[in-house]
Amino acid sequence: MDQNLSILVIDEDPDRAAIVERGLVESGYTRVAKIGTTLNLVSRIQALAPDVIIIDLENPDRDTLEQMFQVSRAIQRPIAMFVGQSDGDMIRASVEAGVSAYVVDGLRSERIKPIVEMAISRFEAFDALRRERDEAQAKLADRKTIEKAKGLLMKTKGLDEEQAYAALRRTAMQQNRRLVDIAHSVIIAFQMDI
Amino acid sequence: MTSAALTPVRCGFVPLIDCALPVIAHEQGFAEQQGLALELVREASWAAIRDKVAFGVLDAAHLLAGIPLACAVGAARAPQVGMLALMALGRGGNSITVSSALYQRMVEADPVAMAGPRAQSAQALRKVIDADRAAGHPPLSFATVFPVSSHNFELRYWLASAGIDPDLDLNLGIIAPPRMVESLALGHIDGYCVGEPWGQRAVAKGVGAIIATKSDLFPAAPEKVLGVRTAWAEQQGDVAEKLIRAFVLAAQWADDPDNRETLAALLAREDYLGQSDAAILASLRGEVILRAGEPATVLPGPHVFYHWQATFPWLSHGHWLMAQMQRWGLWSGDLAERARIVSSVYRPDLYRRAVAPLGIPLPVEDMRVEGGHLQPFQSPAEGGGMIDLGPDTFMDGRLFDPARSPV
Repeated sequence: MDQNLSILVIDEDPDRAAIVERGLVESGYTRVAKIGTTLNLVSRIQALAPDVIIIDLENPDRDTLEQMFQVSRAIQRPIAMFVGQSDGDMIRASVEAGVSAYVVDGLRSERIKPIVEMAISRFEAFDALRRERDEAQAKLADRKTIEKAKGLLMKTKGLDEEQAYAALRRTAMQQNRRLVDIAHSVIIAFQMDI
Repeated sequence: MTSAALTPVRCGFVPLIDCALPVIAHEQGFAEQQGLALELVREASWAAIRDKVAFGVLDAAHLLAGIPLACAVGAARAPQVGMLALMALGRGGNSITVSSALYQRMVEADPVAMAGPRAQSAQALRKVIDADRAAGHPPLSFATVFPVSSHNFELRYWLASAGIDPDLDLNLGIIAPPRMVESLALGHIDGYCVGEPWGQRAVAKGVGAIIATKSDLFPAAPEKVLGVRTAWAEQQGDVAEKLIRAFVLAAQWADDPDNRETLAALLAREDYLGQSDAAILASLRGEVILRAGEPATVLPGPHVFYHWQATFPWLSHGHWLMAQMQRWGLWSGDLAERARIVSSVYRPDLYRRAVAPLGIPLPVEDMRVEGGHLQPFQSPAEGGGMIDLGPDTFMDGRLFDPARSPV
């Protein structure tokens, strides 16, 4: 029955929105929509009439959503609450994960909980993916720096590749610094005009 | 002092000119001087910064003055968490902007009101609204930045002064400041009330005109505060006092005319506002271009950070904000209840104790009747002598007595 709840995912990051949407659909929620940035947020939401809205905590559109708490002529379907009011542990976990959720009037918190928990786990998974990607990119950049330093040593000192690498590593160990930092210093030293 | 001895404090801010005090406390070393390692975290929305303070992700924040009060009573569905407004973060900065088309209609509808004192422009808007209704046209749409913002309360005060009901005679919504100008340009809204530099931006882009500024409406209106969780302040009382001192020293620095160019350059940085420093400097100096093609108008008392007791957490500010929440249906209660709530959020006693080592002049009273002064004036100081206070006239000439005025 809960699978009939309609859920709207609002996220400026289309990749993250897709991950959250897929998680919800895989859990059996069939009525999931997603939108990115829009200047017509309130009317878009009213057209979609979701029961639950999942939005990233950092999204500037959250302030616009807060107006939907008000009962005024402009708002046909007031939002009853920000999930923060329901469950202390859940809200702390969701704020830390960067998820916020809004719910229309009349929905009991046990019906919302699995949806918010799914969003939290998907946000965390997305974060982990992003961290891995950033680390992989950093490692690639490090490797390029080391290769460049090695090349400079080979060219100017007449070393072969293995000797150049050994020299870098020895210096790093002696100075208790990272290999990439030593490589960086080598590159800078060769760039200096003396 | 070595960095190991510094106490870390995570402080959130929203990129607006009045985030100057946390920025200066950090950049000019006032926080470090007080033994704090201040970490600044930029936030994109008031809802996010409120929730992060409420749930302990941030220790402190640059908050709309209405937010700690709303949290105290759960108004506007804020999470009900005890928060303190440790001090105010300055005066000034807001303005009401309308689209070029609406401006033209207002001038045609009531040229006399539009040529008079700026706050009277609401009379012209009233005529436009009446004409639209008679013709069966849809209502105009305006926006502010948050339900419990001073912007919302100032805009409503201005509308109501001309007999316009903000909830019935027009659509009044909420839009994040960086999206205001585009919303106006695309015709999604007809006007807005927002902090600088977003009013100036509409004028510069040729899509709107500024028809009134905070100094025309209620120049002493509470704006932003330094907000913390009550539980945090109870556990970290000495840290809270150090934070207050660092911010007051930052306010003194920020008000020095010799520092304004440095301040503008700092705020302009990509990690703070990410805007041109020339525009920020003009706004700091109160040199505002109201309409495209006109020379700048110099506003009286633009951004004030320290003088006129701009950092003092007046109980009467809390009362005025609660009265506005009551007026617009966000909260209801009697005067005694209001006083109890305000005293649990605004703590001038903590502020006085924190700044005592600085030896700065302080008012005798913790609250005062707001309004009635067109010019700067003086009031008795604690321990003898006088303090300087700034203009505080309401646009309709009324007085707000925190002990008696229900709304």
